[in-house]
Amino acid sequence: MLEVRDVTKTFLLEKSKLTVLEDVSFSVDRDEFVCLVGPSGCGKSTLLRIIAGLERTDSGKVLFHGQPQTSPTPKITMIFQLFGLLPWKTAIENVEIPLEVLGIKKEARLEIAKSHLRMVGLEGFEDTYPHDLSGGMKQRVGIARALALQPEVLLMDEPFSSLDELTAKTLRSLVLDIWRDPTLPTNTFVMVSHNVEEAVFLADRVIVMSPRPGKIIGEVKVDIPRPRGDYLRDTIYFKCVDEVVAVLEGSVK
Amino acid sequence: MRRYYVGLVAGLLAIVVAYWLVMTFVENPEIQNLPYYTFRTLLRIAITLGISVAWGVPFGILASTNKTASIILVPFIDLLQSIPILGYFPAVLIIFVSLFQGSELAIELSAILLLFTSMAWAIFFGVVGAVKGIPVNVIESAQSFGLKGFKYVRHVILPAIVPALVSGATLAWCDGWFFMIAAEYIEYAGATYWVPGLGSFLAKTAYVYGDISLSAILLILITAIVFYINFLTWHRLMERATAGTYKPVLKLDLSGVGQLGVIRAIGHSRWLHIGDRIHRPKSLILASQRLRKYTRLEKAIALMLTLSLAFLIVYLTAAQINLDIIEQGFSRPPADELANLPRYVALTMGRLGIAYVISLGVALGTGILAAEHKKFAAIFYPIYDIGQAVPILALFPVLFITLSRTFGGVIGLEITSIVMLILDMIWYMFLNIVSAVRNIPSEIREVGKLFGFKGLKRITHIVIPSILPAIVTGSILSWGTGWNTIIFSEYMPYGESIIYLPGLGSYLDKAGYIYGNTILLIFLLAIIATIVLLMETLVWRRLLRKFEKYHAEV
Repeated sequence: MLEVRDVTKTFLLEKSKLTVLEDVSFSVDRDEFVCLVGPSGCGKSTLLRIIAGLERTDSGKVLFHGQPQTSPTPKITMIFQLFGLLPWKTAIENVEIPLEVLGIKKEARLEIAKSHLRMVGLEGFEDTYPHDLSGGMKQRVGIARALALQPEVLLMDEPFSSLDELTAKTLRSLVLDIWRDPTLPTNTFVMVSHNVEEAVFLADRVIVMSPRPGKIIGEVKVDIPRPRGDYLRDTIYFKCVDEVVAVLEGSVK
Repeated sequence: MRRYYVGLVAGLLAIVVAYWLVMTFVENPEIQNLPYYTFRTLLRIAITLGISVAWGVPFGILASTNKTASIILVPFIDLLQSIPILGYFPAVLIIFVSLFQGSELAIELSAILLLFTSMAWAIFFGVVGAVKGIPVNVIESAQSFGLKGFKYVRHVILPAIVPALVSGATLAWCDGWFFMIAAEYIEYAGATYWVPGLGSFLAKTAYVYGDISLSAILLILITAIVFYINFLTWHRLMERATAGTYKPVLKLDLSGVGQLGVIRAIGHSRWLHIGDRIHRPKSLILASQRLRKYTRLEKAIALMLTLSLAFLIVYLTAAQINLDIIEQGFSRPPADELANLPRYVALTMGRLGIAYVISLGVALGTGILAAEHKKFAAIFYPIYDIGQAVPILALFPVLFITLSRTFGGVIGLEITSIVMLILDMIWYMFLNIVSAVRNIPSEIREVGKLFGFKGLKRITHIVIPSILPAIVTGSILSWGTGWNTIIFSEYMPYGESIIYLPGLGSYLDKAGYIYGNTILLIFLLAIIATIVLLMETLVWRRLLRKFEKYHAEV
C-alpha cells in the first residue's frame, strides 16, 4: 500500500552537503503497524516527512497505492512530536480547521470534530486553548485532528517522546485501540521512535536505521501476540528488544 | 576574504570619486569644505562613541555586578534615556555657552553631549544585558577556581561583553548618524548655532541656500558613507563577535535580515519610549510582578497613593523653586495656544495613525514575502539595508523642498511629515515581522502544509496569528520612534518664514526653540509621555497579554 523506493535526501548547508538518507527502500502493508527506529539524526523524521509529502526526495520515490506521492494528501496524515497545534485555536477549532480547508460545511465539520474529540477522551475540553491543556491532552487533540480526516495512513513522529511515561503508556494503548478498530478507516500506521521498547511493544515490524547517512540496516519482525501488555515481562519481549538493540549497536560500532 | 577587501577598496574609491565629482561640478560657496565637514562629522561621532564606550563599559559592569549600584544606576539611566533630548538640550547648550563664553568649543561640546545622550544607552544596556546573560554555571565554575576581582573581569566578564559591545557600538554609531543633523544645527530662542559638519551643511543647503539638488546629492553621499561603514566594518565585526557567545546577542533574530536593521531598531526604541521592552530595568519588572499579586482594588488604591505622592513631591519641589517661574511659563507665549492643545494632540495622533496604518500594511506585505520567498528577500533586504542607513532627519529637508514645490508649503509639509513618519516607523514593523515569520515553529509550518493551507487561508490562519505578538512589539517600537520624529517633522523654515503644521510637535518646537519657554516645554513633554504610557497600558499591553497564549509552548 505504501512503498518507499530508493529514497535519497541531501540537505544543502551553507558550504557543504549533508546526506541524511541514502537509498532507503521499504514497504508497508495495509493494516500494518511499522516502526522506524534509529539514533538521533539518522533521518527517520525526514523520511516520515517525505512520506507525508512535506519534503521532496532528491532521488527515489514514495508510492501510495502504486501512485507517486509527492504532496500532502488527506489520505496520509501525521501527528507531531510537539503536537503541532495552532495555539490561537481552541481544541475543537484545531480539529475542525483541516476540514474547513477540505471545504466541509460548518455543521458537518463541527459534528466530526466533536465526535473525534470524544473518541480520544476529550469531551468537555472542546473550547479549551492548547496552553491550558496538558501534554497528553494536546497529543490527544493532535490524534483527533489527524483522524478527523479519515486517513488511510497515520504517520507518527516520536509522538510520545515529549510526554511523561505514564501519559505515554495511556496514549500508546489509545493508539493501539484506534489501529485495531475495524470501524475506523485508519489502519496503517508508521511511527518513528528512538525508544526500542516502545517500538517492540507497538509494531508488527521494526525497521532499524543507521546513523547519518540514514540507511536501513535491519528489520525485526515482532511476533509477540497481542495484546502485548501481558508479555511485557516475558523473555519473548526482551528477546525481541535485544534483537533490535543488537542491530542498532552493530551500526554504531 | 578577498571579496571583502575588494569591496572595501572599491567602496572607498567610489566615495572618493563621488566627492571629487561633487566638488568639481557643484557650485556652492562652501562646497570645497565638503571633505573637512565629513571629517568633522566622522570625528565627532567617533569621539562620542569613544566616550560612550569609556563610560558604558565600567558603569555597565558596575550596574550588573553590584546590587547597590544597580539599584541606583539602572532606574536613573532608564529615566534619562526616556526623556527626549529636546527636553534638556536647550538648557545644556545655554550652560555650555555661558561657561565657555560662546566659543566654538561650547557648541562643539553641546553637540557631543547631545550625541552622547543618544548613543551611550545602547552600550550601557548592552553591557548590562551581556553580563547578566553569563550562565550561572560559568560564574560558579569561575568562582570555584578562585577567579576574583580584576582577574574575574578580565577572564569572564570582558570576553562575555565583547559581542554586546560590538552590537551596542554599532547601534550607537547608527544613532549618532541619526541625530547628526539635530546635533549640528541648533536653534534656540531665535538664535541658530552651527557646528561644522555634514549635518549642518546639509541643513544649510536646504534651509539657507534652498539648493534642492545639492541637498539630495549630500543625502545620497551621507547614505553611501553610512552604508559603507556599516556594511564593511560593523557588519563584519558583528559576524566575528557573535561566534561563540552564550546566547543571541540581541533578542531579535539576526539571521538573514540586514543585520544593522536590528541594531537600529533596538537603538531607536530608546527615545521617548518609556515602556521599553528591551531595556526594561529589573526593578520595574519586579515591581510589576509584585503588583500582579494584588487585587484590582488594592492596585487602584496603590496607584492613587503613588500619584498623590508624586503630585505632592512635584508641588513641594515646585514651591521650593519658585511658583512664579511656573506661572510665568504658563503665561508667556506660546502658552496662549494652550486652548488648542486637544486639537494639536488629535492632529498629531492622526498623522501618527495614518503613518502607522500605512507602515503596518506595507511592512506586512513585504515582510511576509521577504521572509517566505528568497526572490523577494533578494529585493527587499538591500532596500531595507540602504533605506535604514538614510539619516531620516537629513532626508526631511530634501523631501520637503521637493514636495512643497509641487503641492505648496503647507500640504507639502503635511505629506513630508507623514512620509517621514512612515520611513521612520516602517523598519521596525518590517524587521519584527520578518524575524517573526522566520521564527514560526517548523511544526506549525508543517501542520499548515500537511493540512493543505494555501494562499490567503495560510496567511490568515497560520502566518498572521503566529506573528501577532511581534506585530504588537513592532507597533510599540514604531509609535515610540514616531513620537520622537513628530518633534522634528511639524515645522520647517520655508523661505523667509517658518511653516507650522498645527500639532503637538510644532507646539513643542515653538515652546523650546523659538520662545525658550522651558516650563511649557517640560509640560508638553509630560503630556507626550502620558500619551505614550496610556497607549501602552490601554492598548499594547492588553493586546500583548491577550496574545501571550500564542507564545506559550504548545
